[in-house]
Amino acid sequence: MLNSPLRLAAIAGAFLLSGLTATMAQDGPLVTADWLANNLQNDNVRVFEVSVDTGVYERGHIPGAVNLNWHSDLVDTVRRDLVSRENFEALLRRSGVTTDTTIVLYGDNNNWFAAWGAWVFDIYGFSDVKLLDGGRKYWEAQGLPLDTATPEYAATEVTVSDELRPLRARLVDVLAVVEGEVQAQLVDIRGPKEYNGEIFAPEGVQELSIRAGHIPGAVNVPWGTIVNEDGTFKSADEIKAIYAAVGIDGAQPIITYCRIGERSSHTWFALSRILGYEVKNYDGSWTEYGNSVGVPIDNPAGTVWGNT
Amino acid sequence: MSAALRLPLAALVVVVIAVSYWLLSESGAEGRPLAFALLAGSAFGVVLQRSRFCFYCNLRDLVDKRDPSGVLSILVALAVGAIGYMAIFGTWLPTPALGRLPPTAHIGPVSVVLAGASFVFGLGMAISGSCLSAPFYRLGEGSVIAPFAIVGSALGFGLGFMTWNPLFNLATSEAIVVWLPHHLGYTGSLVLTLGLLGALAWLAVSLSKPQARPAQPPLDTREIVQNVFVRRWSGVAGGILVGLIGTLYYFRVAPLGVTAELGSIVRTAGASAELFPSTLYGLDVLRGCATVIKETLFSNNGLFVLGLIGASFASALVANQFRPRRLTGLDIMRGLGGGLLLGWGAMTALGCTVGVLLSGIQAGAMSGWVFLLFCVVGATLGILTARVIARRSAPAAA
Repeated sequence: MLNSPLRLAAIAGAFLLSGLTATMAQDGPLVTADWLANNLQNDNVRVFEVSVDTGVYERGHIPGAVNLNWHSDLVDTVRRDLVSRENFEALLRRSGVTTDTTIVLYGDNNNWFAAWGAWVFDIYGFSDVKLLDGGRKYWEAQGLPLDTATPEYAATEVTVSDELRPLRARLVDVLAVVEGEVQAQLVDIRGPKEYNGEIFAPEGVQELSIRAGHIPGAVNVPWGTIVNEDGTFKSADEIKAIYAAVGIDGAQPIITYCRIGERSSHTWFALSRILGYEVKNYDGSWTEYGNSVGVPIDNPAGTVWGNT
Repeated sequence: MSAALRLPLAALVVVVIAVSYWLLSESGAEGRPLAFALLAGSAFGVVLQRSRFCFYCNLRDLVDKRDPSGVLSILVALAVGAIGYMAIFGTWLPTPALGRLPPTAHIGPVSVVLAGASFVFGLGMAISGSCLSAPFYRLGEGSVIAPFAIVGSALGFGLGFMTWNPLFNLATSEAIVVWLPHHLGYTGSLVLTLGLLGALAWLAVSLSKPQARPAQPPLDTREIVQNVFVRRWSGVAGGILVGLIGTLYYFRVAPLGVTAELGSIVRTAGASAELFPSTLYGLDVLRGCATVIKETLFSNNGLFVLGLIGASFASALVANQFRPRRLTGLDIMRGLGGGLLLGWGAMTALGCTVGVLLSGIQAGAMSGWVFLLFCVVGATLGILTARVIARRSAPAAA
């Protein structure tokens, strides 16, 4: 009995501390698996899974996470465009998102598609969107709990602004850089064999471009260079050093691209959100640029399509 | 084979499966589904072997011997799985909204191509004497025809890849994908499925002759051991277990299927030898036992099938049912010829009696019912033709 006030104080202190660490951890663009595991009951946190492999979400997702289908929820498949503002708004409303909600995205394949999702959220004005560091792979490796039930949330009246944040590069923007009209640095995050033009697409992926090589002036930093073995991002200092070594220090605007724009979203997230550089993602990427008529490319390997 | 050899050999197989399971499950997040697939395949193998759950022999028992227990076993498996699948669907896709399908469920395209492929598959069953899942468990029983049926099926798969594009242009591209819950809701779909299965059960029973039942001796330890490890399990027990394994496997890994790995091996080999067209239209987006160009050594389906063969072998050894017999020329011809039809049918229908029929009907897919209908027609025609041929050649032989 004598101990009660002390114990109460200790418990209150512990609560305060855990609250503090929770607030501290979610300040940055990344949340840790531990933080998320401790915030699953937090009504103010909404978790979205953006996985590309079918059935992954349904067979077990982070409890309470809402499924976002990259193929239908985040893109306009007919226009080859971002999801429309109306559809995105409807999606957020039925997921119970408000302007105060802390949004956390994660997914399979090293968060590639989750990073694409974060880019879309950011474009539509949700610039504080976060990624679960290490994504699904890390969560599973830690043996943290998964759930199979589909959550339902009370719909909200959140509105999405008409004004898009300028985080997207189009073909004309990239051409302006290539032709020297605009100063920016291009980052090609594909594998070196794709960059050098030795192959048209990575193994197991359909060849969708009839030219091999890269955009003139682009530097090659494969996406995996800035990722640890366990799938988490390397530290900000390490990422900064890796990019400084190829002459990218944030002094100039940056454009990232890959094959279809999803792996480059991952690098976009690191450079833009972790390092705070001014970065746009070119979602047309090599499947648009490489196929465009009459635009210059660099093709060190000299591979020509159909020339067998 | 003496018990002194059989039992240690069976124990060795069990140990190999157990150690493989442990190694896979300890190898991180990627290994866990593989471990589960191995275990589920092993369970499936034991159940198939112990209850002789084989689509073709069960159908033949009804047609030839008018014994309905095997067919009832299949119907029970379908009913239990249909209930299990609906329970899973309800949580994964709370309302069966049009335009959405439950992930990975085998809800295949329905077209004249599916009907034709199912019919050919049924004929292949009658010729080779089994469906495509049975040779895998029969391999464990030392069947001499099974290896030829598997080789024939592999060739049939190759043939299927070669004819895929013309057939796709002919009809598959315009096939309809019908999922009953889209039209009837989950409850309506389940009521219809169970109603149809009940009607088929009634039909099977009304076609049957009363079967003599041996007197039941008192249940002592020896009897229990005999019932579990030696005697054939009851059809209903086998059916319930197949339905349960199907449900759990869908929940954890994928719908049951036994041909994906075989098809993938053939596709990978054929693609590297440039035997098949480099593009197989639409194949990778249609639902069913997906064949893929192999990039990894182990796949869920590969381990499932390995578990199936290994566990059925162990189970057959314990029951003293591992009995290879002398191979005849007819076995080779039946195995290869029937297997060829089975393989072509399974590739073209995107699965076999397990992948399309079992996993399809359980999921409420029209494709499963179409496969059931045409495959039974093909197999029954095969059985009746064989009967006529046997009758005509019987006096000459005498």
